[in-house]
Formats: sequence, C-alpha cells, structure tokens
Amino acid sequence: MATPLKLQLSFADRGAVNPGASRDCSDEELVHAAQAGNRAAFGHLYERHAGMVHGILLSRVPPTAVEDLVQDVFVRAMPHIHSLREADHFGGWIAAIARNRAVDFFRESRSPTDQLDDEPQNEPASRGGSTADRAEAHAILEAIRSLPDSYRETLILRLVEGMTGPEIAARTGLTHGSVRVNLHRGMQRLRQALNLGGSGPSAEKL
Amino acid sequence: MSTRKTPGEEFNDPYLWDGSGEPDPEVQRLEKSLAVFRHRGEAPTFPIVFPAAETRPFFPALQNLWPRRFAAFAAMAACTAAILFLVMRPVPSVAPRPGWEVTRLEGAPLVGKHSIQVVGAKAKLEVGELLVTNSTSSATVTVAEIGEIQVDPGTRVRLLQTMHDRKRISLEEGTIHAAIWAPPGEFVVDTPSATAVDLGCAYTLHVSPDGSGLLRTTLGWVGFHSNGHDSFIPAGAVCPTHRTLGPGTPYFEDATEPFRTALAELDFGSLTPESRTATLQIVLSEARKDDALSLWHLLSRTQAADRERVFRRFSTLVPPPSGVTREGILRLDQRQLDLWWNALDLGDISIWRFWEQTPDRAMPSSAQSLQKKQAVPKQAR
Repeated sequence: MATPLKLQLSFADRGAVNPGASRDCSDEELVHAAQAGNRAAFGHLYERHAGMVHGILLSRVPPTAVEDLVQDVFVRAMPHIHSLREADHFGGWIAAIARNRAVDFFRESRSPTDQLDDEPQNEPASRGGSTADRAEAHAILEAIRSLPDSYRETLILRLVEGMTGPEIAARTGLTHGSVRVNLHRGMQRLRQALNLGGSGPSAEKL
Repeated sequence: MSTRKTPGEEFNDPYLWDGSGEPDPEVQRLEKSLAVFRHRGEAPTFPIVFPAAETRPFFPALQNLWPRRFAAFAAMAACTAAILFLVMRPVPSVAPRPGWEVTRLEGAPLVGKHSIQVVGAKAKLEVGELLVTNSTSSATVTVAEIGEIQVDPGTRVRLLQTMHDRKRISLEEGTIHAAIWAPPGEFVVDTPSATAVDLGCAYTLHVSPDGSGLLRTTLGWVGFHSNGHDSFIPAGAVCPTHRTLGPGTPYFEDATEPFRTALAELDFGSLTPESRTATLQIVLSEARKDDALSLWHLLSRTQAADRERVFRRFSTLVPPPSGVTREGILRLDQRQLDLWWNALDLGDISIWRFWEQTPDRAMPSSAQSLQKKQAVPKQAR
C-alpha cells in the first residue's frame, strides 16, 4: 500500500509546497529541521508548546513574569537542541527546561521583595474583565499554586491553558494514569481550598 | 486485556479529563475565570532573538589583525577571572540539610538516632539517615511534594538523595507502599538486587532479609532495572527479583498456577537445556492474552530456538504491529521490541528510553557512599 503523501514529505518539502502545511509536521520532523538550522521549524515548535511552557511557569512564578520567561525558555533551549537525541521527546525536554527556569527565577531574586508584584491591579488592561473578576481569578490561581507541584501544574494546564488530559500526557511525557490522578486529586484539593461543595450549585461560592 | 481495570479508571471524570461528557459547572466556572491567564503571546522572531551560527565576531578588525594574540588575551582574561572567582567567592553559610517528613503511625519508629513515640508526632529524615521500623511500628513519609510512602513494620529505608527533579531511597529490608504523582523517572528506589523506577503511580515493594524482593504495581507502571536487565510492571502485575540474578519476568497475578511456577523456574531455577525447553513449553501453552506481558519479556531472555517459539506464541496473542518482523525480533532489534511493547497498551516505552538517556539516572557517587553504610551491623533493629 502506498505511503500517504503526508508521510513522504519532509518539513522542508511541505513548507515549500504550502507554508502552512509545515505546521502539520510531527515534533520529530520539526526537531530534525530545527537541528538542521531551520528557525521556522523552531517557531512552529514554539507555537505548539508555548502554552504548556506557559502553564508550567504559571504554576511556579508570578503571572507578570511568565510571558517573558516563556520566550526565555525557548531562546535558552534553541542553542541546545542538538543535544536532544530523541527528537519526538521535545515536549518533555522543553518542560524540564521550563521547570529549571522557574527554579532559576527564584535563585536570581535575591530576596522576596525582589520578586515581581503579581497583584491583580498590575495585570495588563488588555487582559480584560473587571477588577473584581481579576481578583477572583487571582484568588483561584493562588489556591491552585498552594497545591503540590504535580497537582498545580496539571490543573493549570487543564483549567488555564485549556489542554485536555491526553494532550497534557502527550506534551509533558506523563502517563495518562498520572495525569488522570493529578487532575482528580488536584480538583479535590482545589475544591477543599476554595471551600466548594463539589457539585454545580456550589459554584456560586467562587 | 480488555477485562482488566485500566490504570486510573477509578478516577473517571470525563469532562475534567478531556472536556467530553456532561459539563461540570464548577470546572467550567474555573475555566472561565482563569482564562485571563491563558497564554496569548506570539512566537518571537527567532532569527532576531537568536543570532545565526555564522555571526560576525565582536571585534572583527582586531581578530583579523592579531587572531592569536586576541585568543591568548581572551584565554588569559578567562583564567584570571576564574582564579579571582575561586579565591574571592563567598563561603556559603551552613544551610539546613534537606529531608522528608516522617509521621508515626504506630509503635516507635527510629528516624536517624531518634525515635518518634507520640501518636501523630513527626520527625525529619535527612539525606543519609535511616528510617527503621521494628515489628510493632510503622510510619508514613512525605516524599517532598511528589508523593507519600507508607513504611510497614520490620523495614529499613535510607534517604539517599532529594533534589527538585530526583528523589532516591534505598530499601534495605521490609515493605513500602509508594504513591507517587511526579513525572516518570523522578522517584527511584534502590534494593539489594534491582532499582525500581516510578513511571507513575502506586506500588508496593518488598525486600526479604536475603536481599530478594517482590514489586507489585497497583496503579500506572514501574520499571525494574539491574545491569541492563529491565522489567516493566504494569498495574495488576508483580515481578520478583533475586539477590544475584536481578529482576525476573513480570506476570499478572491472575495467571494460572502452572504458568507462574514455570516462569519462576525459568527465571531462577537450575535447569538443564532439556528441562528448560519443557518448562518454557508450559509457559507458552498456559499463556492467556494478558500473559503477553510475560512473553514480551521472555523474547529477550531466551536463546535462539526458544526465542522463536516465544515469538510464534506471542504473535498469536498480540499480532506484530507494522514495522515489526520475525527477523528483527529474533535479533532483538530494540526499536521493534519497543514497537511491540507499545502494542500491548500497558505504557509508552519511550518514557523509559527517555529516562535511560538522562545523564544522572545512575546512582550519584554521594548516594553510593551512603548506600555502603548498609554493610554496617543492623544495631538499630
């Protein structure tokens, strides 16, 4: 049986035929292209994984610092992409770099007062919503960030970045079982932290 | 394997999992509120933020004129800076040693040199220290923020390493029940005969006084590793390990008695070539579809003729996926073995291969020196 055309074309081939089509490439193809010096491929990897990196950072550092750190993670990763031997493991690799970058962020902050202020009023106005909405969002985010690492990371990827459980597993390298448990137990802990009842009507307490 | 409860099935919550099923109003409300934080940034222009490899030197004219002097000057400056740094660097203050919190469940478990005697009292298990429970005591250990271990009576556990991406203990004897929710490969347990690597999420590990052991996975899957000998144990399966021979072949606990007995003989028995072939025949004839787990492991643990027989039986239970050939399996092509493992749908083996590539997966020298303390007489027991 003939191999589907999609599989026969490399990243460069597809990009040459249709610039948009190169976005359909697998991580493995994009990594190989990036390792060969193709920066557009690295850009596609950014588009595909920036949300996950954003979520991982948001679970650890102040919201106002996250956007800059997302770009910083990819800029730091790019010179080292040659060291990635398993090209289809880009997600787990960039996730590990993001976690380390979050650790570095706090090392670089000499004292707690050096850390960026993440009060709601400092959120960009372009984010929209009333001050009350933003305050509520910050309260929920803080409740999530008070949970253990694995819970808060998985919950933020699901509730903030809108990733599904299977997507979280595929991007981070966690097993489906781990993600499922993290989501379930994390939600239980979040409900306790927010004093929710665990059913529909109690959502009014938010 | 369709009748087996899949890992995490009890945590079934379709809307939270993938947005399917009846929407959960609480989750929807949280999603709506938190959307304000969602990533919206555009991709940076990488050619600008990351200069090309063929970028010009900082001082081209200088480099063209005196390339060797420029290099020598740069090297000398770097050496001077390094020496100044070593001489003048601030001496770090003594920081508290990292450790895990131990809570007494019953009796008076020993943490280092101290025993916990009050109900619910806590102590800190520091790196290098032993947690010892006698026949009447037990405890729980909080593994940093990534999980919890219950330590049964008659157990000796030493904390070897606790870093943000690597936690390692040594189970010298006894039984622990571990529930871990960290990324795969972050939590590692050394035993006298094999190393257990958590691939998510819950398992029980027992080590006998003679150093042999048994690993039973209850959720997710666990890798058992010793000198390049790997066993993968999914939920519902167990794997014995032998003091000198390392991990045996994992099997599901509901396998038939003849199957399990024959498998133990193959792993650890003293068999002649003839009796080995006869014992393998029992395993192959007793194997059910679920027992493909064991047969996959036997592919790399049998020799030429026997491997061919395992291949044939395994093929009838789980047809080889595309890209897997008889020739490839008989010569133990790892890519093909991995493809076939993934066809079992018991866990993605690329996670394990990724762990194998991590540079610090081996026990660090500091942990090795700690583990040598196992040779010290067990006066605390």
